[in-house]
Amino acid sequence: MTRPLNIHQSNFELHPSGALYWKEQSMLLISDVHLGKVSHFRKYGAAVPQKAIAANFRLLDSTLQDFLPGTVCFLGDLFHSHLNSEWELFREWVSRTSAEIILVAGNHDIISPLKYEALDIKVVPELLIGQFLLTHHPEEREGFFNFAGHIHPAVRICGEGRQSMRLPCFFKSPRQMILPAFGTFTGMHTLEQKNDNEVFAIAEDQVIKL
Amino acid sequence: MAISKTKQDKELYTIAENWFRQQQWKPFPFQTKAWKAFLEGKHGLLNAPTGSGKTYALWFPIVLQYLKDNPDYQKKHPKGLKAVWITPLRALSLEIKQSAERVIRDLGTPLTVGIRSGDTSVKERARQKKDMPDLLITTPESLQLLLASKGYDKQFRNCSAIVVDEWHELLGTKRGVQIELGLSRLKTVAPRLRIWGISATIGNLEQAREVLLGPGSEALMNSVLIRANIPKKIRVQSIIPEKMDNFPWRGHLGLHLMEDVMPIIDRSRTTLLFTNTRGQCEIWYQRLLEKHPELAGLMAMHHGSIGKETRIWVEEAIRDERLKAVVCTSSLDLGVDFAPVETVVQIGGPKGVARFMQRAGRSGHRPGQESVIYFLPTHALELVEASALKAAVATQTVEDRLPFLYSFDVLLQYLTTLAVSDGFKPAEIFPEVRSTFCFQDLPEEQWQWLLNFLVMGSQSLQSYDEYKKVEVEDGVFKVTNRGVAMRHRLQIGTIVGDAQISVKYQKGGYIGTIEESFISKLTPGDVFTFAGRTLEFIRVKEMQAMVRNSKAKSTKTPSWMGGRLTLTSQMSELLREALYTAGEPAGQQSEEIRALESLFKRQRKESIVPKPSEFLIETFKTRDGYHHLFYPFEGRFVHEAMGSLLSYRISLLSPITFSLAFNDYGFELLSDQPVDMQQVLDNDLFTTKYMHEDLQNSLNSTEMARRKFRDIAVISGMVFTGYPNKGIKMKHLQSNSQLLFDVFRDYEPDNLLFQQAFRETFEHQLEEGRLRIALERIAGQQVVWKACKQPTPLSFPIITDGLREKLSSEKLADRIQRMIAKLQK
Repeated sequence: MTRPLNIHQSNFELHPSGALYWKEQSMLLISDVHLGKVSHFRKYGAAVPQKAIAANFRLLDSTLQDFLPGTVCFLGDLFHSHLNSEWELFREWVSRTSAEIILVAGNHDIISPLKYEALDIKVVPELLIGQFLLTHHPEEREGFFNFAGHIHPAVRICGEGRQSMRLPCFFKSPRQMILPAFGTFTGMHTLEQKNDNEVFAIAEDQVIKL
Repeated sequence: MAISKTKQDKELYTIAENWFRQQQWKPFPFQTKAWKAFLEGKHGLLNAPTGSGKTYALWFPIVLQYLKDNPDYQKKHPKGLKAVWITPLRALSLEIKQSAERVIRDLGTPLTVGIRSGDTSVKERARQKKDMPDLLITTPESLQLLLASKGYDKQFRNCSAIVVDEWHELLGTKRGVQIELGLSRLKTVAPRLRIWGISATIGNLEQAREVLLGPGSEALMNSVLIRANIPKKIRVQSIIPEKMDNFPWRGHLGLHLMEDVMPIIDRSRTTLLFTNTRGQCEIWYQRLLEKHPELAGLMAMHHGSIGKETRIWVEEAIRDERLKAVVCTSSLDLGVDFAPVETVVQIGGPKGVARFMQRAGRSGHRPGQESVIYFLPTHALELVEASALKAAVATQTVEDRLPFLYSFDVLLQYLTTLAVSDGFKPAEIFPEVRSTFCFQDLPEEQWQWLLNFLVMGSQSLQSYDEYKKVEVEDGVFKVTNRGVAMRHRLQIGTIVGDAQISVKYQKGGYIGTIEESFISKLTPGDVFTFAGRTLEFIRVKEMQAMVRNSKAKSTKTPSWMGGRLTLTSQMSELLREALYTAGEPAGQQSEEIRALESLFKRQRKESIVPKPSEFLIETFKTRDGYHHLFYPFEGRFVHEAMGSLLSYRISLLSPITFSLAFNDYGFELLSDQPVDMQQVLDNDLFTTKYMHEDLQNSLNSTEMARRKFRDIAVISGMVFTGYPNKGIKMKHLQSNSQLLFDVFRDYEPDNLLFQQAFRETFEHQLEEGRLRIALERIAGQQVVWKACKQPTPLSFPIITDGLREKLSSEKLADRIQRMIAKLQK
């Protein structure tokens, strides 16, 4: 179940996978997938289950299926490490994906842009579309609304009876939206909600505004 | 032949007895028994308390054996390792070395003694590798490291003895498993090896011997259990507040009674004040000094996070009688003879009789002298515990130490260790592994699973996989990758803590180490107390926290985990018995119970003080929500389990969310909705039927397993904890074990390590066996449910506990919606 959101007269859908769909642009924004991380760990002797690798691609497929976007824009940290065997799987995934793919490079993206270009993927440091600025690291720039990743935001909710829980979330301030990490083998960082923040928590298959 | 041998042995005893005479000592019977058994080639377990001369009971026969084997020792001294002495605390190694050297020197032998531990320099280690000392004192971890070096079998070949000191401390831990595995290997490579353990009194001494020597093993058949039987008089004295009315119902620091400690300190040469946590230790030291500046220079602090130099200084100062008082933690529990210590004060419940008696034994260290220990309660109900402790000491009721079973994480680490050194052949190692207590009857399939895990990182070979750890060459399992080998060596061990950060002055000067989780909460400029100093945090640089002295009034004290121990079953029984005397005439009560009369009166206003036949339940509402309290008096682990079980069963009746709190007396289910207690009773929710299944289904057991998995992931080598002082650089390899746990849960739930986390939860944390017995006991009791208007004295320490577990049967989204709705009201 997605949740609609309007920012500066543009229409967006928040998806419980952590992806964000931009209707007018037919563009799907996905941040911090960290592909290759499982293989990287395995290469260094930590036996992370291999099935977790396939899960990332399955999740990508099902999310794309929900929107059928014209463009998929990754907001950085698409690959966690140097080139490893997961690149092959990624290449296969790209070849069966019809959408145009753009990568806004993040700090983890150390694989050569040439490798991406060979797959017809554009690698850019940032993307400007109208009043929107797409980056990996959150950034404030005069006159723009920023979409970013990097933080892996989470929020803590407290209730009566001393209840509390921590959930991944979309974290919005007046001029910025930080996307949660999309990947299956990534962590979270808890942010504190201030007055002018809007937080959309992911609770299983729902996105709930707090 | 046989006759001359005994004759020779007799001459050897004479050497030992003469030495004792020269010191003007007389050997204890347990010492001569140990000499004799050792020289007869027997293995064994020696049960002797600290400070009884246990070290000489085993150093002597080791040296005598050498004299026997090498009559020409002065001309022809054969080089190489002859005996290994394992101690759980490296701080003790120096003391042990001095004892050994004294014997060696006085007998005029050319034997050398060396220490190898985490503190040993690289240079010294390299020297040892070329030229091993004759006698080596080491830790369980360093022993494993020796097994990780090439050609270890040659180094151990002529080793004739291995002594595991303080075996009771290792037994119920994974370090014990490490020892079991190490010994299984050494038995093969060193055929003349004699295995000896030294243990303080624990409930299961016979089992301790079996675990050490291997069930059904030849070594066990040919072994002895020697008991020192040195009577020790211990006097327990509770510090009872003069006015009970003002004494708090909750709390864990005990500062209210600080002034009562002063006359005790004044009366003794040296007093040790034992606290339960390092945080409490810091606060007591600080407050004592503030209130009594005259103690400056005469008082010190000792705990595990303080720099080694400081600790050694404190220990020497105690020995030289330069200190009136030392505030300490379990870091001073073991070893080391401190003659000037006349009095010991225990602040807060020690949670174990053995520990309490060991601490008491720190005073009056000379044989025959009475040990005095004062018990200082931190809140009113702890007086009940004091009363129970007295009974326990009087009857010598000591708890068991439960050995671990099937610790696959330790086994994987051990197998990797063997793969790093000379490689191993499974057909040779499997029988050795199965000969240990921990892995007895290990099924062949599970062994194969472990081998697959080491080689493929899974149970079947996958395309595109780059997993690299152990490789197989001609049937030999080996680590060939240097990076893998190096990372493994750095990580050998089974004690997993939070990452440690060194605390240093910016100008230079090392103070100690603090858990990273504490430092990460500080912002530059924050002031905290550590090692008795008030420090301002400047910044973190590599794995070091830079600080400077501060004059500010202190704001924060590091809180260290690990302070939460549980009562053992023996102790909880004594606790219940003590509490049940509340209803008896004052003449039959202990002074502690008598002192609680006003509290019991308050308790009886709204509720009852339960009798042996009663099981008390209390309910009431406060601002926090609806409280439901249950009092089984079984110790916190059982309460945690029972709380999970009960809350799970209630949550099946209707969707509800609980937070759970528990202490040694009872547990609480707190919710934002009231529970229909009549329904709980009518539905027989305390039954033992389906107990295991229900526990497994309760979310809480998953959360506990998640915490257990943290250690398992590190020990098994799944999570790399980083190069020393270079934590940051390896960050891309350091995953959080929480994440790993989730990945296993979602994609590989049949993984043996993942399942081990649950097994440990049920066996060691939830104590399923004890839970069953407790439920059966409750079934025979009459339930007394009291609906109260406000919190009762019994409930108070529980409901104010901030550390809580959670359990919910509501849909996540529903729960959030309701939480939001309540917030907006």
